[in-house]
Amino acid sequence: MGQPIAVGFFGVVAIWFAITVFRTSSMVRSALALLAVMVALGGIFLALEAEFLGVLQLMMMASEMTIMAIFMVMYMMDPGGLGQMEMTHQKRSAGLVGALGALGGVTLAVFVAWGGGATVPTPTGQLRLLGLEIMGRSMLIFETAGVTILVAMIAATAVAIARWR
Amino acid sequence: MTALLFVLLLLIGAYVVTVIERWAVTGRIDPVAPLAGALALLATESIVPRRPDRTLFDAAPVLMLISAVLAAAVLPLTSSGIVVDLATGGLFVNAALVYIMVALVMAGWGADGAYAMVGGWSFLGQLIAYSMLIVMPIAAVAMRAQSLSTVAIVQSQASVWNVITQPLGFVLFVLAAMGASFLPPFDLPNATALAMGVAGEYTGVRLAVFRLGRLVLVVTLATAITVFFLGGWLGPLLPGWVWTPVKTLVVAATLLAGGRYVPRLRQEHLLQWSWKLGIPLALTNIAWVGVTLLAVR
Repeated sequence: MGQPIAVGFFGVVAIWFAITVFRTSSMVRSALALLAVMVALGGIFLALEAEFLGVLQLMMMASEMTIMAIFMVMYMMDPGGLGQMEMTHQKRSAGLVGALGALGGVTLAVFVAWGGGATVPTPTGQLRLLGLEIMGRSMLIFETAGVTILVAMIAATAVAIARWR
Repeated sequence: MTALLFVLLLLIGAYVVTVIERWAVTGRIDPVAPLAGALALLATESIVPRRPDRTLFDAAPVLMLISAVLAAAVLPLTSSGIVVDLATGGLFVNAALVYIMVALVMAGWGADGAYAMVGGWSFLGQLIAYSMLIVMPIAAVAMRAQSLSTVAIVQSQASVWNVITQPLGFVLFVLAAMGASFLPPFDLPNATALAMGVAGEYTGVRLAVFRLGRLVLVVTLATAITVFFLGGWLGPLLPGWVWTPVKTLVVAATLLAGGRYVPRLRQEHLLQWSWKLGIPLALTNIAWVGVTLLAVR
């Protein structure tokens, strides 16, 4: 009984902060509200006994969202929202897409036969399985992604240095 | 019961660390000063700066305290004396510590002051410098323990402590821990040159919570060094529940006193040293641990 309540609680928290993202005119508040959404999703992972994914979500999103916040501060005209800048646009189409997405999500949740009673591996077992997956059939995917990101980082640094000089 | 004892120990640890910090600065041991200072702060008016982002300004000190406490909750006092023994304990320490940065950014932004904001954002840069040097040494100690559980990491040091087998990782982790707790010479976010930076706009009870959070953070990181590298509760003669606090206090005293003899680092130098020297050394440490583990097997 505790698990559905925890999942529901974190779900409501995630939706609440997702709405907050668009209700504020401060870029930093918006980014930190998005971080709160991600923290709530991490809470859902933990409630679903996916310990590693939950902790990883909490760890990665904190620095990513804050770095996003500083880029928004650097590039936006009114990062503090003191000028009451309008943050939303294309409201009608965005609302329609949002409503359709929510409807699709609810339909999937309610009408799909998800099954039940699946055995969740122990947290230690999950780590072992994840390690075997990464070092096994998914190794090529992870290595390719890693090298691609590294190349992008080096290229971005090289471009920045070239302009600076 | 374990949770209550844990909170009590953290508070005692924060008190002792304050005494040590004052000794490191003034050269005098004054056991009454922390209590008098705390009472004075609580009695002072908590002034709010002009046009703050009130939510962020108020939430930041609390978030800092909660993050430090959560990180400490997965660190063991003894083999059974731990609040939560997570299978991902080593990773969780790092996850909780990242929110210290979020709290400082919130404190800097929320105060609506130039110095505070520079201090807050500069800690984001500092995180980019030190975070890899937190994660990679933890990965190396987890390799030896074959587990991310902090209890298993201490148990893996029964024959020889990690500080002996992984000296490089130890040095990097200690430096990164000083960076994470913004102790000198890494005290960029609250430097005197920035009029105390992120802490500058706080007064009264908010400043008291901010300082308590910082002190608990120092205790947490000193405990993390003890658990990951100095054998945790393991030691001769004395019982385990004595060894962990004793080692933690020695580490905390070293962290607080050591940095005061080194000039404060500039932001760009910190990043340069960290990325050009620190990360290659951390990778070397991981490779070294891998080779030694294979050789021993």
